[in-house]
Amino acid sequence: MTSPARTPVSALPRGHEFAPARFVLTAARVRAYLDAVGDRGDYGASAPPLAAVAFGLAALQEQLSLPDGALHTGQEVEHLHPIACDAELMLTGRVAQRSERQGLVITVIEYELADGAGPAVRARTTIIAPGAAA
Amino acid sequence: MSGVAPVTREVTQAGVAAYADASGDHNPIHVDEAFARGTPFGGTIAHGMLVLALIGEMMHEAFGEQWLASGRLKVRFKAPARPGQALTASAEAPVSAGGDYAVRVTDAAGETLVEGRASLERA
Repeated sequence: MTSPARTPVSALPRGHEFAPARFVLTAARVRAYLDAVGDRGDYGASAPPLAAVAFGLAALQEQLSLPDGALHTGQEVEHLHPIACDAELMLTGRVAQRSERQGLVITVIEYELADGAGPAVRARTTIIAPGAAA
Repeated sequence: MSGVAPVTREVTQAGVAAYADASGDHNPIHVDEAFARGTPFGGTIAHGMLVLALIGEMMHEAFGEQWLASGRLKVRFKAPARPGQALTASAEAPVSAGGDYAVRVTDAAGETLVEGRASLERA
């Protein structure tokens, strides 16, 4: 599979659709996530939804670049059903909002992670980044 | 009492590095001390999603499967978390049945780093 080019987040127009991406939420990856965040909770065969969101963000970052000074300023997450470890997830996303203020570009990215049972998590990430002229 | 027990944990640079490896987000502001010293933050900061994980853990501890199946979170990252800080996630009970929990993450000095709302469908 050819990797799409990475575009600076501040250059993405409203309505931009990211190329769909697939990844497997392996149990090993989930374990590494839980160890990293220090969560000792019992999730059984499920994965923490925020792990799926974190890996979804990582997948999105294969298509966008974050310049120095970019800040993650907001996050929304909606769990639609539990996600099993080792589930294959399909990521789809788009730029829902884009605005500029004082040389900064505020971008809101909406994305969804779906497994075999349909959409499992919806999320919105707000990023503030210096604009091209900043 | 909200019925949701707070979660407290110290942010460490090792934890931030482990999160970078686990998530694939190796932005130098999180993992490169020399780079981060030259930024307005004056040093490395934790990933927002690493800090947010405290709220996810807290809500999962309180509501278990129900949280995984129907939880909702909406937060703003107000200030960065730095290695060495002890952070506490906490929740205030909804003012009405079925309402949202006010959730936040604060540092040891009481500064709010993350705040927002959490909710879930109740059986």
